[in-house]
Amino acid sequence: MNGHPTREEDFDLYALGALEGDEKQAIESHVASCADCARKLAEARGRVAMISFAAPRVEPAPHVKELLLARVREEGRSAAPERAVAPREADSSSSGGVFGRWWTAVLAPVGVALAIATILLWNQNQRLNREMADLHAALVTQQKTLEEAHHAADLLAARDTIVVPLAPMPGMPKGMGRVTYNSDMGMLMYDGKVDPAPANKSYQLWLFPMKGDPINAGVFNPATDEISHWMMKMSPGVTPASFAITLEPAGGMPHPTGPKVLAGSVPVLKG
Amino acid sequence: MNPETGAKLDASDAALIQRIVQRDESALAALYDRYAGMLSSVLNRILRDTQAAEEILQDIFYQLWRTSSRFDPSRGSLAGWLTVMARNRAISRLRKHNPSSGEQLDENTVAVPTNLDNVVAQKEMMGRVKGALGKLPQEQRAVLELAYFEGLTHSEIAQRTGDPLGTVKTRLRSAVETLKRTLQP
Repeated sequence: MNGHPTREEDFDLYALGALEGDEKQAIESHVASCADCARKLAEARGRVAMISFAAPRVEPAPHVKELLLARVREEGRSAAPERAVAPREADSSSSGGVFGRWWTAVLAPVGVALAIATILLWNQNQRLNREMADLHAALVTQQKTLEEAHHAADLLAARDTIVVPLAPMPGMPKGMGRVTYNSDMGMLMYDGKVDPAPANKSYQLWLFPMKGDPINAGVFNPATDEISHWMMKMSPGVTPASFAITLEPAGGMPHPTGPKVLAGSVPVLKG
Repeated sequence: MNPETGAKLDASDAALIQRIVQRDESALAALYDRYAGMLSSVLNRILRDTQAAEEILQDIFYQLWRTSSRFDPSRGSLAGWLTVMARNRAISRLRKHNPSSGEQLDENTVAVPTNLDNVVAQKEMMGRVKGALGKLPQEQRAVLELAYFEGLTHSEIAQRTGDPLGTVKTRLRSAVETLKRTLQP
């Protein structure tokens, strides 16, 4: 197709990724040379992107932002400022006569050699930058692991931390889990193993507080025999009555809607 | 979403991007507060895996930090670009494709129907989209969600649902027509 798409929705279908083969190629080749249709495609991309708002709202755990900013700061510490190296301009106006030509004859190969050396150094610099980025990524991963270990150690060492075993509910996929939680720290850790969720379903962990609505504590889809583990920061000061894992539509829900798969109540302290 | 405070609340995306170019971490933090919840939702919906969603979320904002100087606000919306990138990366991960590392801030111009740089606007858009999808016949909504959240093409949807290819195409076209009418400014 070299003409405009006959139907406006073709742009939306393309942005959605639903078109294949000739239909897809026709839009791609036309848009590359038609500013008006490129604008329509940009609008279609924006429209289609709004389907994201159909997803249940899931706020990221606070540690994601902390890790992002730590990564950025680490980059700032390790990266040297880039400086443009501007070659000096040769003052050709002063080079005259035999003396001038002699210098030109010497300087020309030197200039070429310097240019080659500059390219080689630039390539080396690029390679070092890439290596530095790889090392940085490894460092960030290690920092994350270390931070998690510290958080886990703090959580386990805290006097008022509770451990709530989650037991399987009758008729549900088999499995077992454990929630470690500290209300003052607002820290929750989950460890457990449960059979993979059925198609188009996800597991979701909930904190059922003494007062108020259930609080989302993570959505997960374990593979066969996979042990799930995560820590998350929650609002401090929430007193839980129980925890449960429910089976929800894929991606999780704002409130529990599905059956409980694993559940456990917070033990009541006597005394 | 963490509440935005002070001057950050008023700063435009373009102004914050400009500050990121000058290596202002607080501008990155402000954009994160503005859009992380929106992106986290779509990432979790596609991947159904909190940890994988967190990794991609962090990577997207890190890429924004590194390549902010290439972003031209006059050519498209940051909210749109971030959403498209989140979806593409999540679907690549879901389908075991190599992550699309070639995305750049100046590629794939995205023009969203409205400004989404605050929580109120995002909630309003959420209401409009959920309202539009809620009115779709179930079979149209299902194909639209398979295409968007699982990245399936017409034929792949037909294969998945067992419906004839022509039926799938008609349903999806009707669904996007309705969506377009709803989101038209």
